[in-house]
Amino acid sequence: MDLFLHLCVMCLIYIIFALSLNLEIGYTGLFNFGHVAFFGIGAYTSALLTLHHFPFELGLVMALTLSGIFGFLLGLPSLRLRGDFFGIATLGFGEMIRMVFQNEVWLTKGPMGLPGIPKPTLFSFRFATLPQYFLLTLGFTAITFLFLRILIRSPFGRVLKAIREDEIAAEALGKNAYRFKIKSFVVGSIFAGLAGALWGHYTTFISPNDFTLLETILVLLIVVLGGKGTEWGPLLGAALLIFFQESLRFLRLPPEYGRYLAPLQQMIFGALLIFMMLFRPEGLIKERGRRVYAGTQRVE
Amino acid sequence: MSSFFLQTIFNGILAGCIYALFAIGLTLIYGVLNFVNFAHGELIMWGAYFLYFLMDRPLNLPLSIAFLPALCLTILLGLGSDRFIFKPLRKASRLTLLITSLGLSFFLRNGAQFFWGAEIRTYGFEIKRGMKLFGVSITPNQLAIIVSSTLCMILLYLFFYKSRMGKSMRAISDDLELARVMGIPSDRAIQFTWIIASFLAGLGGILLALDTNLHPGMGLINLVKAFAATLLGGVGNLWGALLGGMIIGLSENIAVLLLSPGYKDAIAFGIMVMMLLIRSSTIFWPKE
Repeated sequence: MDLFLHLCVMCLIYIIFALSLNLEIGYTGLFNFGHVAFFGIGAYTSALLTLHHFPFELGLVMALTLSGIFGFLLGLPSLRLRGDFFGIATLGFGEMIRMVFQNEVWLTKGPMGLPGIPKPTLFSFRFATLPQYFLLTLGFTAITFLFLRILIRSPFGRVLKAIREDEIAAEALGKNAYRFKIKSFVVGSIFAGLAGALWGHYTTFISPNDFTLLETILVLLIVVLGGKGTEWGPLLGAALLIFFQESLRFLRLPPEYGRYLAPLQQMIFGALLIFMMLFRPEGLIKERGRRVYAGTQRVE
Repeated sequence: MSSFFLQTIFNGILAGCIYALFAIGLTLIYGVLNFVNFAHGELIMWGAYFLYFLMDRPLNLPLSIAFLPALCLTILLGLGSDRFIFKPLRKASRLTLLITSLGLSFFLRNGAQFFWGAEIRTYGFEIKRGMKLFGVSITPNQLAIIVSSTLCMILLYLFFYKSRMGKSMRAISDDLELARVMGIPSDRAIQFTWIIASFLAGLGGILLALDTNLHPGMGLINLVKAFAATLLGGVGNLWGALLGGMIIGLSENIAVLLLSPGYKDAIAFGIMVMMLLIRSSTIFWPKE
């Protein structure tokens, strides 16, 4: 039962993470390859504040605020770039943030990481046990899902989709694509920060090694596998992949195979990403009402 | 102090030579195939590891013999990735290609980790005291880096401006459709592009690993540097990539004098962001 709840909590956290990326990749067409940076900023902010005996509420609010601010600061120059350059810029940013976690030892204790992150207390109720934490993440996931669903279905969301399909046409209709992209990017970063904060308080230990390219690939794969630009795709993708990843962890292999298992698992992720792009770029769930699909769009 | 500073400049030029090799390959692929190949860093890393594989037990080949086969293997890797992954996606959208190359990059990086582990390795040469030249110490390996990258640049120049294939590659980079209409065999030129790009990546990776060390993460960080160099010089612009690589190498080594060495790899990213802020989008269209 505990194992099942653990899987559920991990899954819910990654659903929040993937939903935020889906807003950027799926609906706005922003290819953010450094999403882990905001996950990390959220995790470190909330962990550091609560470790210094600030209340969890403040830690959470600051985590969201800082992720949003960093999203804004990164988006300001890089969203002026074309899709692939934006991709590299965010990829570099992800690595940069990890370097900051690693080198600013006075703040983050560097490679030693931050142990003993307290369990969250919300309105003087302490979410200490696993079922309680499950309810907490379930609540936050529901909020994220509903918020993003309303956002996507609002006129704002329709503009985002228009920008994804044809930026010039959207601009011709008087929409400032750059501004909309920044807004979408900031919202996405804020929710990634939320996922990070929840993750940090759940594992109670974070270190720079938790925020590598692997996390970016994993969350990207969740979105791509489930179906980008769909409401339920990230949920399906997260369920499949987190179950796969975490079940390997309980596969009680002798430790000498451990050195091979992690790279092998990550090779599978990479191969799966290539496979999806080659054979089913739209993902397991197809986006409805979209005739020209980005994955197979002809350029001639 | 002045010799210390000279040494820094020298190290910067040395790094710059290597980054230029990476950046030229990246910008070539970009120019001809019109997408940023995230797996380019992994070609760099695999080039270095191929040499390690040939020089390690059980083969124990000397550097002079293992060097060429290692480069050939890198070229095969590049050609293979094109044949089996990028060729079927030739007409896919740019974003599909991006995700694919990111997936490939991750696959290859963990492949290296699977075989050789995550630890930092060296080729196992004993550290030699460099000779002194104007107060700057140069090791034989570093001399080899400068000589071979200069040689490479000259050959590249001859290839692109004197040979038929080089000219057709430049034509395709300018305008694929027009080049096709003019009867330039685009498939062969694309293959050639991969050969040259993987050759440069493999060579650069080997040179870098000779001068420093090799580990599976070296691909990604050098991809960012190569990209920063590409941006500095203008995307698709070969000589710009050379210049950009030099600037990145120099500023990285000079900045270490001022900043914590832990941030050495972040300099390239900083330069990239600064370039974006100053010149916004105009820089990306150097051909006009």
